[in-house]
Amino acid sequence: MDAKISVSPTSLVDKIVVPGDVVLDLSNMSNQTIKLGGGLRQDNDAISATRAGKLSYSKPNKYSIESSHKRYIPRPDDHVLGIVVDSRSDNFWVDIKGPQIALLPNLAFEGGTRRNIPKFEVGTLLYVRVVKTNTGMNPELSCTDASGKAAAFGPLRDGFMFETSTGLSRMLLSSPTCPVLEALGKKLSFEIATGLNGRVWVNAAAPRSVIIVANAIMNSESLSGTQQRIMVEKLLAKISD
Amino acid sequence: MEIDREDGRTPNQLRPLACSRSILHRPHGSASWSQGDTKVLAAAYGPKAGTKKNEDPEKACFEVIWKPKSGQIGKVEKEYEMILKKTIQSICVLTVNPNTTTSVIIQVVHDDGSLLPCAINAACAALVDAGIPMKHLAVAICCCLADKGYVVLDPNKLEEKKMTAFAYLVFPNTTLSVLPKGSSVVEDEPVEHGIITSVTNGVMSVDDYFLCVENGRAATASLSSFFRKNFQQSQKNSSKAG
Repeated sequence: MDAKISVSPTSLVDKIVVPGDVVLDLSNMSNQTIKLGGGLRQDNDAISATRAGKLSYSKPNKYSIESSHKRYIPRPDDHVLGIVVDSRSDNFWVDIKGPQIALLPNLAFEGGTRRNIPKFEVGTLLYVRVVKTNTGMNPELSCTDASGKAAAFGPLRDGFMFETSTGLSRMLLSSPTCPVLEALGKKLSFEIATGLNGRVWVNAAAPRSVIIVANAIMNSESLSGTQQRIMVEKLLAKISD
Repeated sequence: MEIDREDGRTPNQLRPLACSRSILHRPHGSASWSQGDTKVLAAAYGPKAGTKKNEDPEKACFEVIWKPKSGQIGKVEKEYEMILKKTIQSICVLTVNPNTTTSVIIQVVHDDGSLLPCAINAACAALVDAGIPMKHLAVAICCCLADKGYVVLDPNKLEEKKMTAFAYLVFPNTTLSVLPKGSSVVEDEPVEHGIITSVTNGVMSVDDYFLCVENGRAATASLSSFFRKNFQQSQKNSSKAG
């Protein structure tokens, strides 16, 4: 009476899976090292999914579940936009839309010493890099890249920040350039910072350009490439009348 | 034996199912689940830092709030909250986000029988929408026993009142697996034969209870495939730019 699939699929890569699906069988793959990204967990010899989404495989050996949510799971080396919620003697407490509040050490800036600790007010928007994420500990951030240089990290002044899903931020950061950003960039000049945690900051000379860019990005989540270009063209045509 | 149900269904037939996810703007995950006329809305917030008092900080904590369609919150609602909380705790991976709290709020939109299973299905869909790590999904079903001794699935409110006993049963969903069939076993039984929650009401014999469990388990296959198809549809609709 069970309508169970009678033939086991050979591979679930690039298919949509739900929690509980066993996606890899380690007993068939001996002498290989595989990296497990987000959404997968190991149960002896079987790797099963803990989130619903698409199973993706990136060379040479990394498997992960791609899905888009409103909250963010911190991973090392991600660039995110955080908001300062408190400052303590040796760290700033920064909210990055994850399960725990993240810590930004006072000295994690280029040329940072005890004498020139920056003063961030509560509510400052920062572009930071996630350094460490260990289970049970608050994630650690840094305003420098791996070699200690500032590299555009730090506070973002002026402009407008809005929240999106993590899937949309990944799309905005994909290369080649996302169609909506390309189409907007042809007619408007603006500055944009995208965090992998679903926050986007836009700045431009005129407030109306900021609003146009923000609305175009928020509308483009479920559109394909050509639909995005058409949407942007229509929006810009309406404005320039 | 031909059994007549008022709406013309066979004893093992479920009412039409409908599920939509990401319908609410503010919660991190939301879903609405309806079985026939019974409709429940679920919202999930979290994980947020910090656990409540008397909860183990080494594990993720879940909090359930049940809001009835009308009236004050009483003992019945508190019992539903406790059952839901225990069910959610068994399907979610508790060690991934220690010292966090995830809140699930259930709002009853309309109650036409089989309310708690509908709420459990809605809560599970909302947790999937929020991205909370889970070991597997939960599919819930109501089986009731008529006085003549036959088992009826997914009753509506009128049928529920006429039955001698009913049981709400929650099973793990049927999963896709790349393992050869039969290898995911726990103590000589496939994992799908497990049962997560069972709430009974009324008087029934042990054999009747096992008959209910068997019928309920057979129906979980169709519920699981409905959930899977529904999820795949919504992923196709929100296709990202290539």
